[in-house]
Amino acid sequence: MPTLSSAINASASALAAERTRIEAAVSNMANAESTRGADGRPYRRRDVLLAADHTSTFDTAFGQAAATGVKVAAVVEDRAPFRRRYEPSHPDADAQGFVELPNVDPQNEMVDLIGASRAYQANLTAIGLIRDLVARALELGR
Amino acid sequence: MTIAVAKQVASAGNLANVDTPDYKAVEVSFESALDSRLTPPTATNAKHISANSVATPSLREVPGVTPRRDGNTVQLDQELLTMNRAGGDFSAAQTALAAKFRLVRYAINEGR
Repeated sequence: MPTLSSAINASASALAAERTRIEAAVSNMANAESTRGADGRPYRRRDVLLAADHTSTFDTAFGQAAATGVKVAAVVEDRAPFRRRYEPSHPDADAQGFVELPNVDPQNEMVDLIGASRAYQANLTAIGLIRDLVARALELGR
Repeated sequence: MTIAVAKQVASAGNLANVDTPDYKAVEVSFESALDSRLTPPTATNAKHISANSVATPSLREVPGVTPRRDGNTVQLDQELLTMNRAGGDFSAAQTALAAKFRLVRYAINEGR
């Protein structure tokens, strides 16, 4: 029998994963014009890969089915080509006068941000509903 | 109450994976939930204690949902609806169970 604590754990893992997505989107937007990263190249857009998490929890250790959580599989760099802008006065401009800018598209980041925050809200709501159930079950002792 | 909890847990797992590529939403199948109630597990050994308990409800993928472009079949509104409905079912079952417990306590206290 699955337990409510495994459901709360699954929702909590989703909160952490969605927060990672929000952080990635925010840092992408913050660095939309960063032409120099640690390697001297423009900033590359970061993308969060999510994967279903079936790994063992307290419940599965006792042979019980658990809710499927989610985990951040990896944070990868977007291999899309850099944007190029003609700006000969820029210190990072090449011989032809073009500056390579990060492959960040603010519109896409905003969509990711809204999607992640909505998913965060949905999981918070789920935790609230599960908490109501637990409270109801505890009333049996009254 | 067990079925309501199973539904709640399945939906929580779905909501957690609302943005996981290729994740397929699962639900507690009604038929299995009903079957597990109608056919109690049979004792295969004389030493087994016959149990009338509810077997673990089985999960299945939600049928008839067109996956999104990332292969995910979780529908946010449906999952929240399922959770709310399961919460209502749980409350109803809890009320019935609490009433039974009250009767038992009434008997223990010799009607006082």
